[in-house]
Amino acid sequence: MRQGRLVATGAMLAFCLFALWQSLLLSLTDRLGPGPGFFPFWLALIGIVLSLALFVSIWREPQAAAQDASGEEVRILPHGWGAKRWFAIIGLLAAVTIAMEFVGFRIAMLVFNAALVIALGERRWWLIAVFALLGSFGVHYLFTTWLDVLLPTGQFGI
Amino acid sequence: MEALGHLLQGFAAALTPAYLLYAFAGCMLGTLIGVLPGLGPAAGTAILIPLTFSLDATGAIIMLCAIYYGAMYGGTITSVLINVPGEAASVVTCIDGHQMAKQGRAGSALGIAAIGSFVGGTLATVALVAVAMPLASLALKFGPAEFFALMVAGLCLVVGLAGNNMQAALLMTVIGLLFAMIGVDPVRGAPRFTFGVEELYDGIGFVPVVMGLFGVAELLLAAEKRQTHMVEAELKSWMPTKAECRQSVGAIGRGTVVGFVLGLIPGVGAIVPTFMAYVLEKRVSKTPERFGKGAIEGVASAETANNAYANASMVPLLALGIPSSPTIAVLMGAFIVNGITPGPFLFKEQPALVWTVIASFFVGNALLLILNLPLVGLWAKLLKIPFSYMCAGVLIFCVIGAYGLKQSLFDVWVMLGFGILGYLLRKLDFPIAPAILALILGPMMERSLRTTLEISGGSFAIFLDRPVALVLLAIPVVVIAFLLFKPRSLAPLRESDIE
Repeated sequence: MRQGRLVATGAMLAFCLFALWQSLLLSLTDRLGPGPGFFPFWLALIGIVLSLALFVSIWREPQAAAQDASGEEVRILPHGWGAKRWFAIIGLLAAVTIAMEFVGFRIAMLVFNAALVIALGERRWWLIAVFALLGSFGVHYLFTTWLDVLLPTGQFGI
Repeated sequence: MEALGHLLQGFAAALTPAYLLYAFAGCMLGTLIGVLPGLGPAAGTAILIPLTFSLDATGAIIMLCAIYYGAMYGGTITSVLINVPGEAASVVTCIDGHQMAKQGRAGSALGIAAIGSFVGGTLATVALVAVAMPLASLALKFGPAEFFALMVAGLCLVVGLAGNNMQAALLMTVIGLLFAMIGVDPVRGAPRFTFGVEELYDGIGFVPVVMGLFGVAELLLAAEKRQTHMVEAELKSWMPTKAECRQSVGAIGRGTVVGFVLGLIPGVGAIVPTFMAYVLEKRVSKTPERFGKGAIEGVASAETANNAYANASMVPLLALGIPSSPTIAVLMGAFIVNGITPGPFLFKEQPALVWTVIASFFVGNALLLILNLPLVGLWAKLLKIPFSYMCAGVLIFCVIGAYGLKQSLFDVWVMLGFGILGYLLRKLDFPIAPAILALILGPMMERSLRTTLEISGGSFAIFLDRPVALVLLAIPVVVIAFLLFKPRSLAPLRESDIE
């Protein structure tokens, strides 16, 4: 946990350093007063000071395994049984985002819904089929016809 | 008197069939989201934003506000029936509410929670009517220096009340502000941190960010855990007995006051008023030993304070444009998406909208009472929905919400990225609320500061010449200094304090 917090604080420090460098590429002041780089420059500077202070403070903390309310050790990254479900959600969400551009919302969501509920443990095929259809074609109809929300249309026009 | 006239006009609009329908739908959906364990009001409100895309601004805000307080009540049902708080503020309700359910009094617990929520929410809205307009009139006298100081004060109070994690909260605020800098500079129009990516010229979208940080991150956290199974609680009657109502009157009154007062302070969060109302009730009780064993006053005080807080926290948003919690920040984002900037000018420039929304709070509270008492059994059945379907359903809404606003798949990637980021930050104990508030306040803060410095010719001494700005800037300094050097006896409230 301590190591994870150190890495996260280090990443934030790097982000603030990057923002400082980028803000210096913009003008800090101009003839009217503060320029576009003024506010991000000071924010990045404050961020650097804060992340350094936090880094030192975490560094000084005694190394102890963090526990959740049930007394189990808190792990930063998913593990075991939970990791499969975790990666299924992330992977399928990424896949549906790519697929929507090519096959449109309806087909992409149909496959996404079916794949996700199967990955999360559902095995009743008729229920999976009904849910996948309602969650893709049904939702598309609801949002585009009733709520006037435009949803992606793929290369096949659906 | 002027406020009363406006409010009556607001009622005339809020009671039209279309707005009644939006409030009704919002209450239903909010309660549904609140019932589902793990999805709190912030996630619920964010996830359901796409449903309001096609509505007019007033309708959209009415529906989202109804979703917000619906979700606040929905969390109670899981607290009582399965001892799992649907949202953080319902943690206290678990203590006596679940004990009552075990004794076969689940209906009474849920009934008194609905009644307390109605009374607390309605009285807090009455106080909102009395307080908001004078506060907004006062804020109209503010210049950019005062507004900047006000936003700094609001942000710092949120940070200051983050508990033992203040350093991390301060850093998260700065990170949130830096993310808010992405896009076209609001004063000069120069692109910043866009790296030639066209989609970044409008800045990082608030809706995909909150959907990621709340919706996707919540699901990722829940996906790791084994699901709890529904405990069949007996629902003999949903009305508390006369004796139980008599026992709860004082608790409801005190809960309303505690919830309203704390709702006015940015950063307090919904959990503190419920804890404080519960502790107060236990202190004033002649039989404190009953608390924790199914005392109905424990449920009444916490639930009343919860809803009084929810309605009172609209005061800083509507009158000053300061969101006091992540959920209110999501609502503020929805206001902005609909072309409305919350704050003192709202009462002057769009009185019809603001008073219709305020009137809808009364209507929504009444609808919640009517809905929740007879429908308790139905809500309880929703707890049986398997995680796989809940997860897929929520993700459909997240994808539509992230995509629908600008029809951009880039925003769906932003949502996914912030979902993973939100998951990691929660695991590493970095508070997300300050970053969300900073993200939404960032552009306004920058505009106020830069206008102030343009007026002063670049001198920060202007803040010394403006007493209100000086006092507002001093408040967070004092609060943070106090919290850094506070005596150990003033440690934050913990669950053990109320057992």
